[in-house]
Amino acid sequence: MDTSENVNVHTRKWVLQAESEYRFELDPSATLAIKLVSGHAEIFGAELAEGKVYLFGQECKAAVFTWLGCAIEMSHPSVEYVSDETPMAVYANVHLALEQMRVRALAAVHGLPIPEDEGDDTAGADPPRVLVLGPENSGKTSVCKTLANYAVRAGQDWVPTYVNVDPSEGAWSVPGAISAAPITAPIQTSSPASALGTTATSAPNHVSSNALLPLSYWYGHAEMRRNPLLMDRLIRNLGENIRDRYEGDTAGRCSGLIVDTPASFAASSGTGGDHRLTMIKACVDTFQINVILVVGHEKLNVEMQRTYGNRMAVLKIAKSGGVVELDAAYRERIHKYQLHTYFYGHVIEPPVGITSRGYVQAGEQTPDQTMHLSPLSASVNFGDIVIYRIGEETMAPSSALPIGAARVVSEMQPLVVDPTLGGSGLYNAVLAILAPPNPDESERYDEEILDLPVVGYIAITALDVPNRRMTVLSPSPGSLTGKTAIVGSFEWQE
Amino acid sequence: MSLYAQTASYAQMPYQGQGYGPTVVPPNPYYAPPPPVPQPVFHLDANTFRRDYMTRLANLTVNSRPIIQTLSMIAQDYNRYADVVVQCIEQHLRRVPPWMKLPSFYLLDAISKNVYDPYARSFTPIVVRLFLDTYEAVDQQTRSKMEEMLLTWRTGSPNGRELFGVVSQVAIERHIWGGESTQSTPGGRDGGSSISQAQVLSELEFVLGQKERVLLASPHDELTKHHISILQQLRGMVQAGVPQRDLQAILTQLRALTTPSSSPPPPAPAPASYPAAPSYSQLPPIPAPPIAPQPPYQSQPPYPMAFEQPQQEPVDLTRLLPPVAPVATTSVPSAPIPDISGIFSALVRAGVVSTTGTPTGAGTSSKPEEPSQSADPESQARQAYRKAIMSVKIKLTSSDVSKHRPRIVETLYERLPTQCKQCGSRFSDDTIGKKQFEDHLDMHFRQNRKATQAVGRGHSRSWFVSLEDWISSNSVDVKGKGRADGRTVSSKVVAAEEAAKREAELRAMFVVVPPGDEAKPISCPICKEPLKSEFLEDDEEWVWRNAVKKDDRIYHATCHAEATASKSSLAVRLRNERPSRSRSRTPEKATPPRVHAPLNGDSRKSETPTPSRLAGMKRKAEDDHTVTVKREGDVPQAKRVAT
Repeated sequence: MDTSENVNVHTRKWVLQAESEYRFELDPSATLAIKLVSGHAEIFGAELAEGKVYLFGQECKAAVFTWLGCAIEMSHPSVEYVSDETPMAVYANVHLALEQMRVRALAAVHGLPIPEDEGDDTAGADPPRVLVLGPENSGKTSVCKTLANYAVRAGQDWVPTYVNVDPSEGAWSVPGAISAAPITAPIQTSSPASALGTTATSAPNHVSSNALLPLSYWYGHAEMRRNPLLMDRLIRNLGENIRDRYEGDTAGRCSGLIVDTPASFAASSGTGGDHRLTMIKACVDTFQINVILVVGHEKLNVEMQRTYGNRMAVLKIAKSGGVVELDAAYRERIHKYQLHTYFYGHVIEPPVGITSRGYVQAGEQTPDQTMHLSPLSASVNFGDIVIYRIGEETMAPSSALPIGAARVVSEMQPLVVDPTLGGSGLYNAVLAILAPPNPDESERYDEEILDLPVVGYIAITALDVPNRRMTVLSPSPGSLTGKTAIVGSFEWQE
Repeated sequence: MSLYAQTASYAQMPYQGQGYGPTVVPPNPYYAPPPPVPQPVFHLDANTFRRDYMTRLANLTVNSRPIIQTLSMIAQDYNRYADVVVQCIEQHLRRVPPWMKLPSFYLLDAISKNVYDPYARSFTPIVVRLFLDTYEAVDQQTRSKMEEMLLTWRTGSPNGRELFGVVSQVAIERHIWGGESTQSTPGGRDGGSSISQAQVLSELEFVLGQKERVLLASPHDELTKHHISILQQLRGMVQAGVPQRDLQAILTQLRALTTPSSSPPPPAPAPASYPAAPSYSQLPPIPAPPIAPQPPYQSQPPYPMAFEQPQQEPVDLTRLLPPVAPVATTSVPSAPIPDISGIFSALVRAGVVSTTGTPTGAGTSSKPEEPSQSADPESQARQAYRKAIMSVKIKLTSSDVSKHRPRIVETLYERLPTQCKQCGSRFSDDTIGKKQFEDHLDMHFRQNRKATQAVGRGHSRSWFVSLEDWISSNSVDVKGKGRADGRTVSSKVVAAEEAAKREAELRAMFVVVPPGDEAKPISCPICKEPLKSEFLEDDEEWVWRNAVKKDDRIYHATCHAEATASKSSLAVRLRNERPSRSRSRTPEKATPPRVHAPLNGDSRKSETPTPSRLAGMKRKAEDDHTVTVKREGDVPQAKRVAT
């Protein structure tokens, strides 16, 4: 049986049997230090280096899993326990099956015969393009992360594309975004503010998943039902550009992609029921999905089997017993952490009583030097940025309109927001700065704004209406790289 | 005694490489061109000599080898005026602005080492104050140069002892490395320690620099390569933080390495004496931790970095120390070669260097041995992997994935026995894997170096890449090589590199200054900025750098090329402009603004460029103008991190 013993008043040592995991949950102000003393261990598929002290914070909830057994030593988290019932064996089998698809795809590209193909004979040479569905708190993101990490750990130069279409997750930038990023190194876990790694900064990073270059679109809201049409369009934009990228990137294409979805895709009841099937279809179409993983949801599995079972593999996989029920307040706080981390970075303070040097945070060897970021507070003229809002702020669903009545403003129409008007809602708003529109004027179109990717995010921290100026918090020095911005429903709180 | 013969004795000093290293470029571009170095003249009295030497010293504004050589030669010839020379240098050093101080210190260094007597003696009373005052005043880059120099002083005297005596040396070292907490490395946390991490790092850096230069001289020296990689790993380890005892041990060994470096010339130490093989085979049998359930999995000794001395670890710190300790206690270190292998074997034991040598144990069973001679090891490795993966019997169905025991351990661990101790990444133990592992360690090293260099400089979140860059960036590279910093080579970056290369070529162009015109100031007709003249040692001529002669007028080569390009081709101009707008990182700095700036100034200041050029130029100048102005408006005070 797994054993634990106190090393001293501050630290405790656990010995984990093979294929068991140590789970922990942190309170808002708590931090945790974990050191692998011996054996092999991993966190969501990212292996720990022996002897390094890893730090966790910001209400991180995670698990240290071991395939072969290990001993770990850590400070005292808020909640901790060891479980030997994990679905990791299933995930590992899924990974092996996906790996076979990758290998086959690559062999096909190089025109090599598949040696001793004892796997699925009927399979073609398509790389795995996986859609992960599941209800709230089923561990979808953990599954995606583990699968992506196993792929990059294979040592075969796989570069899987991680696609996040869950706007409440925010992935690599801020909540409200849907994005895709090629993954070249295991995604580290240290804080839910950067659950999937972080985007590039000017600091030197050791782990490339802390310097990701995502392609990001701004949806601007946490819930899918707010504007499903927009969501649909952004998903398709993402897919189209990924396909473009794959044309020139064989290694990336053969590595496949993994799509993490919001829980609303799986919600079987309540509002948005009709939208979720549209969304799933949008994902399946645009990402050319050929594997659907349903995490712990029998009914959805059956539904997907019926709809897509004849065209692709639809699998039900067990959800981990370790997932934590998260409430809305928690998600709120995570959004705040994420926004803050985007601008300022975050350095986790080691817990009291740990006297060691050389902490590792998210795989970074010198977090205190490289994970502190300095944003820039700048004053800009109202005229320097044109701010849009997509659709009207409070919009009744089309079905609620009188019969025969047409909408005056469509859900997809970009409306210019005038900062001088009261109630513009811009104070403390988070804006997505968009890439410059097509330089060729003749190529422009009305809704081009919907198709422009994000180059970065800013927050309006002060409005000076008489002087027509506003103060914005910008992630990095230098001029804003775009003049077009979209405002969503996220607020910046210092 | 000729100076050139003497320089061999400190040929390993960093700034000796190419004429006192990278020239220190003064921030002010308007400094007057130094006059040609005159021959030493004869002086009759101390006052005349003082005046003359001061005048010559005033020319030492850049790190110029000829000037330093001349000045130290004069000092040698007139050693009866040693006190005057010392006073002059001290005065000069105290008077000049910080960016001019380093060359003067190099002079002090050169005189003290090459002439030694009586100068070293004369400098001794003042050198501590002088060094520390200067050190306070200069920027970080110059500081590290000064630290390098300080390290050479340890063994700078002809008999291999401290150049200015042990008291001065220790006084300076204690001041800049000792208990100060200005270095924001994690080492600062345990106050009151006798050795700081910064000091060890600095010395490591120095030894590493020496080794790298040896390698440059003889690129095929496998031993030195090996040493370098060990030292790099050691560095990473130190940066990550090691206990005080280890710092002491490392320091002792490093010093042992540097001590003899002044007597034997640089060419690499004899490889024959390197007891590499024994140190591998002597690797003690590692007691498997009790929890290891499967035989093929081989545990590695735990990394000796502890929360607080974990006593129950099977392998403890003490394992690291025994091979180190004997050397540490001997007062007079012996030959350098056994010492580095001492460090090495210590590292092997510590598990920092794991399977650089012959692979031990598991990992090879799953795939066929690859004869490295045959065809292409990479495709062979791929084939082996393909075979291994395809041999797994698994179907992508709900029942199949939950029924089987996964054969995952083999895939994730056994195939890849070499693990990076820094981040946990794994590598195979074939030739490719070894190469990747080396590159990977280099990456850690580079990033660590960047991080230490950037201490105090604020970092910030980068803008995302443009859509075109995202689509065209290729993801071939993985964890092994550099781009952990997130930079992917894209078309834009390549274009920027090409532009930079073009610019460098242009800047390398020169026009020989007509005799007699050396002192005449001359400006580029396009940008109105003065042309810089400099002395070419090889040709023994004064030239204007970055210059072309067209129609009897001298232009900046860059200005001229830009003007011609903008006149002739709109496309070229567009291509040059776009990267600076849409690139994600360092938006305005990377590419052509240096070329633009002069043009910009031109059309604003002077109203009469030739009309043909104006057409293409003006609009661009306006473009740049708006950009610049907007930036000025946009960017007031930087907001620093609040939390």
